[in-house]
Amino acid sequence: MTTALRVAPRTAVVLVLASVAALAAFSWPFFVPARPESMARTTEAPLVFIVVLPVLVALVLAELSSGGVDSKALAMLGVLAAVNAALRPLGAGTAGIETVFFLLVLAGRVFGPGFGFLLGAISLFASALLTAGVGPWLPFQMLAAAWIGLGAGLLPARLRGRVEVAVLAGYGAVAAYGYGLLMNLWFWPFSTGADTQLSYVAGAPVLENLHRFAVFTAVTSTFGWDTGRAITTTVAIVLVGPAVLAALRRAARRAAFDAPVTFAVPPPTAPPGDRQPSGP
Amino acid sequence: MTEQVTAGKVAPPPTQVARSGPTIAGRLPRALHPGAWWLWALGLATAANHTTNPLPLALLVAAAALVVVRRRTDAPWAFAFRLYLVLGGMVVAMRIVFRLVFGGGQGDLVLFHLPEIPLPAWAAGIRLFGPVAAEQLLGGFYDGLRLATMLICLGAANALANPKRLLRAVPGALYAVSTAVVVALSVAPQLVESVLRVRRARRLRGATGKGLRALRGIALPVLADALDRSLALAAAMDSRGYGRTAAIPASHRALTGGLVLAGLVGVCVGTYGLLDATVPSYLGLPMLLTGLTTAVVGMLLAGRRVDRSRYRPDRWGLADVVVAGCGVVTAAVTAAAGSVDPARLYPPVSPLTWPELTPLMLLAVVVAVAPAWLAPPPPTRTAERTSTPVTAAPAGAIRSATPGRDLQREAHR
Repeated sequence: MTTALRVAPRTAVVLVLASVAALAAFSWPFFVPARPESMARTTEAPLVFIVVLPVLVALVLAELSSGGVDSKALAMLGVLAAVNAALRPLGAGTAGIETVFFLLVLAGRVFGPGFGFLLGAISLFASALLTAGVGPWLPFQMLAAAWIGLGAGLLPARLRGRVEVAVLAGYGAVAAYGYGLLMNLWFWPFSTGADTQLSYVAGAPVLENLHRFAVFTAVTSTFGWDTGRAITTTVAIVLVGPAVLAALRRAARRAAFDAPVTFAVPPPTAPPGDRQPSGP
Repeated sequence: MTEQVTAGKVAPPPTQVARSGPTIAGRLPRALHPGAWWLWALGLATAANHTTNPLPLALLVAAAALVVVRRRTDAPWAFAFRLYLVLGGMVVAMRIVFRLVFGGGQGDLVLFHLPEIPLPAWAAGIRLFGPVAAEQLLGGFYDGLRLATMLICLGAANALANPKRLLRAVPGALYAVSTAVVVALSVAPQLVESVLRVRRARRLRGATGKGLRALRGIALPVLADALDRSLALAAAMDSRGYGRTAAIPASHRALTGGLVLAGLVGVCVGTYGLLDATVPSYLGLPMLLTGLTTAVVGMLLAGRRVDRSRYRPDRWGLADVVVAGCGVVTAAVTAAAGSVDPARLYPPVSPLTWPELTPLMLLAVVVAVAPAWLAPPPPTRTAERTSTPVTAAPAGAIRSATPGRDLQREAHR
């Protein structure tokens, strides 16, 4: 297993801290206290997190690439993100057919957790730029997809063959449901408004709000849209997974991310190559 | 007829010049800084967030639509605005349907009764349908319209601002990530060409498979082609100095890393403080903002060590500042209107009252719509084509020959 992008210990700590804060940005309706002043203007709490989350995402992305990304990894990221962004509109019109996650899972598996995280975030960002879909939902989608890529990279490394494909397919199904749940959770306060029977209740016990959310997500999407997404992802991984894994591993081998770079003194006959590479 | 067409290609048609009123930056068509459009749109969205009164909300939507229609280019993203209007309509409809089905916001003026369906206990004991009150529907409509207006304002920014130029404004610390995004944006159209090439090769070999087999026969070679292309692109980038790592002193890295870490700890504590009513209030929002600022300062400091040159940088001219200022003033005037007369900005649904406009609200809408005249007209398609001939190239065959240069050009578009 190659790692196209090294995750230093400090980067890992930043990733964990930012993920904890970001989870709060997803799940605040469960914990929000019943303060009289916050009940008066229920729009303030979501707005704080909508402002905070893009900054968190930017921080994590900057930290992940702070050690300097190999240009081969950079080009690979761009190309795979382009494939993902091109795949995404294929399923957008048809209910539940989601074509993004299978390549994200497979690439995260082959290139490692750090690369998977970046790929998830960059894929959705590039897709949003291509389809003019930039909005407050984008950081939430980027982060959820990034977690999926990260998780795929963290699966046990030793598995190979059919077991590997089976594990990846199972992970793809779980990830598809998880992504749907996170997106529902983010949009829950906005889609229902403040005071229907499915809305969150500020200050209520966590379990009661969880119950309300479970009903909301079951009613709106889990059995339809999310199941379709899980099936598509699983079927795609089982059908083309082995071939795609082989293609990705071949590319990783050719790129030789782990190869140490050494500089040798050029032979005396060669002309002095002292030209600095020009900046972009 | 032909004369008119050729004249139109050389210069913008005279009607357009006559139609747009006096602008600050003169008559020259140019694209505004994308940040100016985003600030304007965010200002409008903030203003929309400050009211549930349907009259100013509808006027804000109309203002955004007018500015988009008058100042959008004919780039592909400029036509996204219609989708955002549809999305806004869906949001309003969803809010009302949720209130119809799941109740909430009870009122006295019952319009009609729907048969009640009580659900079992595992479904949180909720009941479906039941009496439908006018106040309940109106509350859903007000709330939904506010959210829809905010979405539509963002859609206006999506339609007006060039996303590729916005990408160039990211801080230096995100340079590597933005390079990857630029690669993705420039490679995506090439995939189409790759698909066509693989299909042609298959047909030449006499492969006539259909369905899943054909999909595999096309998709996998396209993927392999894309991966090979990425290695060629990396070599081209290396030779042009992309993605190089500068030697950064360890002490500097420790400082910026420490700032980011300390800031994130502050963000976590602040988030906890915000959501827990028992801790003192200074651990809430103030802590969150302090932590966020610290971490961002660390990120910006780290980004200053990234050396990169800029080609044709976007400058903030007078018109850009004015457009951004219109957004800020719209938000500020609406906030002022809210502090002067909160009851008019949040019209009560029970008892039912007719929403009213105040002069301040009207002023906010007038400022919001001003960029339709104050912003310079967008560059026409013909002007764009002469400056960047790549946009007109059909299949991108020329691009793939020189991936590095193409990347450079794509970044400057």
